[in-house]
Amino acid sequence: MAKLLLYLTLATSLIPLFSVAFSPENPTDRRVLVLVDDFAIKSSHSLYFGSLTSRGFQLEFKLADDPNIGLQRYGQYLYDALVLFCPSVERFGGSIDVASIVDFVDSGHDLIVAADSNASDLIREVATECGVDFDEDPAAMVIDHINYAVSNFDGDHTLIASDDFIKADVILGSKKIEAPVLFQGIGHSLNPANSLVLKVLSASSSAYSANPKSKLSNPPSLTGSAISLVSVVQARNNARILITGSLSMFSNRFFRSGVQKAGSSIKHEKSGNEQFLTEISKWVFHERGHLKAVNVRHHKVGESDEPAIYRINDDLEYSVEIYEWSGTSWEPYVSDDVQVQFYMMSPYVLKTLSTDQKGHYSAEFKVPDVYGVFQFKVEYQRLGYTSLSLSKQIPVRPYRHNEYERFLPAAYPYYGSAFSMMAGFFIFTIVHLYSK
Amino acid sequence: MYQRERERERERDYREEMARSTGKDAQALFHSLRSAYAATPTTLKIIDLYMGFAVFTALIQVVYMAIVGSFPFNSFLSGVLSCVGTAILAVCLRIQVNKDNKEFKDLPPERAFADFVLCNLVLHLVIMNFLG
Repeated sequence: MAKLLLYLTLATSLIPLFSVAFSPENPTDRRVLVLVDDFAIKSSHSLYFGSLTSRGFQLEFKLADDPNIGLQRYGQYLYDALVLFCPSVERFGGSIDVASIVDFVDSGHDLIVAADSNASDLIREVATECGVDFDEDPAAMVIDHINYAVSNFDGDHTLIASDDFIKADVILGSKKIEAPVLFQGIGHSLNPANSLVLKVLSASSSAYSANPKSKLSNPPSLTGSAISLVSVVQARNNARILITGSLSMFSNRFFRSGVQKAGSSIKHEKSGNEQFLTEISKWVFHERGHLKAVNVRHHKVGESDEPAIYRINDDLEYSVEIYEWSGTSWEPYVSDDVQVQFYMMSPYVLKTLSTDQKGHYSAEFKVPDVYGVFQFKVEYQRLGYTSLSLSKQIPVRPYRHNEYERFLPAAYPYYGSAFSMMAGFFIFTIVHLYSK
Repeated sequence: MYQRERERERERDYREEMARSTGKDAQALFHSLRSAYAATPTTLKIIDLYMGFAVFTALIQVVYMAIVGSFPFNSFLSGVLSCVGTAILAVCLRIQVNKDNKEFKDLPPERAFADFVLCNLVLHLVIMNFLG
């Protein structure tokens, strides 16, 4: 009986080791919850979901108002990422609501939100919480009379072909997307003061957001390239969010269709949707652009152990190792613009770290002539990469009284005068005592 | 007219006489000082010579600092203060050893000299410490 209990506890304690999930050592998300309006989306968007499962993701499909859904149970999150393909949901079922989605993102998990022309207020609220504002008019769609996609049945130019991509290889992959991306849905705008949101696919300058079925009575509020079709947000805790106004952009129909931009004679056999969305979901799920910095070390030049305190005008060396997650393993990150600051209220020293191309970065510099408590700070924020914010505190002391320079040539007259006074005193005493 | 000319002549004569008498007074003063000094005992003259050497060395250092700048300021202070301190102690010895000084009539000169030596020892200890 006791042996049975022992084996049982051993077996259950080993189960957590076999679960491969999101962790700092393995940052790619694994378990993804996909909320849909109806299960027809599972088949009409099967190419996109297939690309995710082929990269090893475990997708779980649930209806958005299913009363049994929940993001966490007993304080632990059940999923590593959330995909909201439910633009018309009025109220989420189970324990999910806008606040729980925001908490999910705040705890470092990723999110994909796809709205559409019938987007509910709930989805718009989720997008606003993430920093993106959809057009307030519920019937508005993005219309472009100059850059629309030529097709046989769409006469109101809401199906647009856009190739105004953000220039970031880390988000969109190194291979150029040749064909334009088909889009049909609502547009959103970003707050220009927000530095965390990026426009990945923006509308051309001839686009505007309006109701295609009614006549325009006032000029539209959202126009031109201020309209963003696809945006990403990288939060300060490195959670990544993808927000787009067209669910049909992910559909098999758009993936497979050819595209020809109005006014151009080039007809592409396949639209750029599949490549664009596959690459961008690689970025959103942390398969690319995820950095970690380990092994921060500093020591005096010539020594190897870390001292607890430095002296002013010491020569020291600082080194750090930065790796990038490639989807399966940690590769060395190679860049020439990582900088370290020696900081006390303001940076006294700012030096670019040199790399040995294998992920090891180091810099040598002289401690400034100021004493106090300093920090070694590395603040690295680049577009599309996780932000690195390292800080290590170290005190710096002034010279001890026997560490100052001695026997300065400039002071020889003074030394000479002091010794001559002593000699003079000696001679004077002899003369004074022995003269009559 | 002639009256004013005569007044001016008288003024000029008066001024010449004053100048001559001031010149003569200064010379007389200088002579009296030299003769009075010649009468001081040799011991005191030796102390005066020692003091002059100390002040002269201090002046050289100040001129040097004015040219070169005060970089090792502690060394400058130490050098100048050694000269100044030596001069002050020499002055104190001179006061105490001078037989004409009524205040220190009962102080034996050996005691004054012993104080002088001890104070100089302390002075040079401090100077060496501060010289850097």
